Order: sequence, then structure tokens, then C-alpha cells
Amino acid sequence: MNKHAALRWLSIIAFVGVWWIASLLSSPEFLPGPKAIGETIIANFLTPGPEGKTAEFHIAITLLRIFATFSIAMLAGIALGLILGLRPKLEMAFGYLIPLSLTTPTLLAVFLCVLWFGYSETGGLVAVIFTVTPFVTVNMLAGTKALDKELVDMAHAFKANRSLLVRKVLIWQLMPYIFSAFRYAFGMTWKIVALAETFGLKFGIGYMFTFWFEQFNMVQVMSWIILFVVLMLILEHGVIARLEEKMFAWRPAHSY
Amino acid sequence: MSSEAVVIEKLTKMFPNPGGAGEFAVIESLNLQIRRGTFASIVGPSGCGKSTLLNIIAGIETHDAGTLRIIPQEGAASTARIGYVFQSPRLLNWLTVEDNIKFALEAQNIEKALWNQRVKKYLDMVGLGGQERNYPLKLSGGMQQRVAISRALAIEPDILLMDEPFSHLDEITARKMRVDLMHILEHAQPTILFVTHSLREAVFLSEDVYMMSVKPARIFKQVRVDIPRPRHPEDSRLFDLEKDLVKEFFAVLELSQQ
Repeated sequence: MNKHAALRWLSIIAFVGVWWIASLLSSPEFLPGPKAIGETIIANFLTPGPEGKTAEFHIAITLLRIFATFSIAMLAGIALGLILGLRPKLEMAFGYLIPLSLTTPTLLAVFLCVLWFGYSETGGLVAVIFTVTPFVTVNMLAGTKALDKELVDMAHAFKANRSLLVRKVLIWQLMPYIFSAFRYAFGMTWKIVALAETFGLKFGIGYMFTFWFEQFNMVQVMSWIILFVVLMLILEHGVIARLEEKMFAWRPAHSY
Repeated sequence: MSSEAVVIEKLTKMFPNPGGAGEFAVIESLNLQIRRGTFASIVGPSGCGKSTLLNIIAGIETHDAGTLRIIPQEGAASTARIGYVFQSPRLLNWLTVEDNIKFALEAQNIEKALWNQRVKKYLDMVGLGGQERNYPLKLSGGMQQRVAISRALAIEPDILLMDEPFSHLDEITARKMRVDLMHILEHAQPTILFVTHSLREAVFLSEDVYMMSVKPARIFKQVRVDIPRPRHPEDSRLFDLEKDLVKEFFAVLELSQQ
């Protein structure tokens, strides 16, 4: 285990320790301790809860929603950003619309979509896509501004066609922007999916927040929140960070 | 078969005036002929339009008047192949050394079956055999420039353009690279158009030296360097020739400033 990993584990242990001590000082209804939460999470996996479903069912639904909306928003954002960025006239014509969607409060977008589509799967998913796509677009736009003209000239001097230019020259220069958009968009997506689930979608982790909130069951609400956070941390550090490491293997170590 | 590889006649290039209306000629009525299989250098002060000329030949920039012909070797593809070595390596840092060379081969539509053989041949030639899988940023500046040279050679160009390729290197590395370039050229014999502001470099490397004036850029003198290769950088004949040419250069520059 290297130093960084050790520090990280240490901080997690410290967090759980502080939590444990705080829980001893207050009542279980106010702040349940790590032991109670851990047992509840395990129980949720083993015995069917409300709607007769165990925890993995809700997790699967939430992850599916995240994955679907996140993929669509990323692809749409990258495509839009590239189209606008590489065609200045289009950017001049439509670029001013981006702040419009950036400044619309997320909650409002969710409400609007509920009004338009009702408490349906479509409504929630449209809200996520509408909110996340512009962030990706803005990032890609910034990326196209920073393209190295010297490399583009080099490609032209060797008579590279458009496809080769995009595949081997442009997309790689945009990779840092794609990844920062990726991380940000991922964070936004799971928050908004959870929000949409809390407000109207059936099943999913957010749905469980609301269900137990209405029962005033502190232990369950916290169990689901902790489960959710742990899941997202695993996705972020286990999947996205690994992917990033692979894509940037060409960089010398000191530039990390 | 033509004995010329490049023929430029009355080439003119206009640039917009900085901060004002109208245009001025960076290059005006420039004539240049480069013999096939020779090493030609253009020497001129910084900012005289040398790089612009190379970019026009490479097709990166357009020109406003005159003609430019690059004549492909006999039996070769109908369009001439142009290799370009820039001041900085301009490598794709996310691709391995090998893939950087393959990028040029793919761009030039060279048959895929030939790729590996070309990569090996030209990396060996620049002394980088074994670095195929390495990434450019893990190499020194001089090694990166060698990769750029092998990338340009690998397409087996009808004309190889070199734009002050050693000017970003420290003098010791640059000196070694010049000597090495001479050795490389014993194996591959492309036509080279080399641009530099250093008469010493031009005289050491070239068979033909073209001297270029500023604003507008024109060739005012052509010198043939008859000293046989291999040349030694300390050869006194090179120094003498350089001295004469420097004198002449200053005479012309002073004249143009009056």
C-alpha cells in the first residue's frame, strides 16, 4: 500500500471514529452509530423492504438511470461542444443560449419536467439530461479553444484527412476537458437522479430516502444515504480514476 | 525526368498590415529551383518569411501570385510527398514513438503492410531503434527531434522541408544532430530544403545556399558549396566561405535599409 492510499484509509477510519463517538453522545433517533447503520444496510440486502424489494433492486434501478442519462448527456455535450467550438459562426449564433440552461436552478428543471411529463420515468430523465448536457458542452467548448494550432498544421502538412485529424490529433487534446466534464457531469447526474427519485420516480435509492423520511425512520434514511455515498465513491475512484490513469499513461509522472 | 524537384516562379505572398489597412508583401516575386537529391538551404534573418515560404510549399498556407511546382520522382505517386520537420518536434505526445511515425504513414495513404518495416528502418537511421514503444515526453528534446526527422523521412518524401530544426536545441546537441544528419543522408537521399538563420549551419550542411533578403523576401544570391562530404565542422574552407558570405549579407542588408 502506498502512502496516499494509507492516508486515505486513515481519513476514513478517523471519520467513522468521530461519527461513532458523536453517536455515543447523542440518542439513536438523532444520530445512529456506525454499527446500527451497518447492520441495517446488511439487513436491507438480505430481507425485502417496502414494495417487496431488497436493496440491490433499488441500487440497480438507480445505477441504470445514472448510466443512461449520463451517457446521453456526455455524448450530446461532447458533440454539441465540438460542433460549436469548431464552427465559430454556429457558436456566435447559439453560444449565448448555454448560460440559459446553466443558470436554470436544478430544482426548477426537475419541477418543470414533472409538470410537463408527470411523475414518469421520462420526466426525471429529461430533467437530468437538460441540466447536465450544457456543463459538458461548456467544457468541450473551452477545450476547442485550447487546441494546439501547430499540431493541426503538422497534420495538414502530412495531408491527414479529417477522420485521422479528429482521431489522432483533436480528441486527445480534448481528453483532459472530456475527463473534467466526465467527473463533474457524473457528480451532477447522480445528485439529480437521486433528487428526481426523491421527488417522483418509483423505486431507486432516492425513492427509499423519501419512503423512510415519511416514516421518520432515521436509521433507515441514514443507511440509504451512507450506502449511496459509498457506491458513488467506489464508482468515482474505482472506475473513473482508473480509466483516467489509463488514458493519460503518456504523461510523465510529475505532471499529475 | 526533371532534374528539379521544386520549381518556384514569381511567388508572392501578401500579409495584412499590422494594425492598419492594406497589405504588404512578405515574399515578392521569389524564384527558386531545387535540384533533385540535393541539400539546399535558405538563409535569412529572423522574420524574413522563410517559414512562410516552407508553409506555402507544404500547402499549409496559400500564396497570392506565382507558381509552385513540386515534381514527384519518376514512377512514384502522382502527387508529390512532402515531409516536414518543424522548429519544435510537434509530436503527438499521446501516441508512442512508433505510432507517431505511423500517423504520417497513414496520412500519406502508404500501404499498411509497409508500416512496420518503415518504422524500423527510419528509427534505426536516426539512432532510436528500440524506442518504438516509448512516449515522446519521456525522451529528451534532441531525441524528440530525431523522432520528428524519422517521421518525415519515413514517408520517403520527394522533398523534405526543415524549418530551423536544431534551433531549439542546446548547441552541443545541435552540433551532434547536424553531423548525424549528414550520416543519415548517406543512406537516404531525399531532396532537402532547409531553412536557417545561421550561415555556418547552412554552409556546413548544404550543396546549395540561397541567401534571402528581408521585406520583401527575395533570393539575392545563390552559392554552391563544393566541399566534398563528409565534411568536418572545423574545416577551414567552411569558415572562409562563411566569412565571405556574412560580409556579403551585411552589405545587402545595409543597402536594403537605406
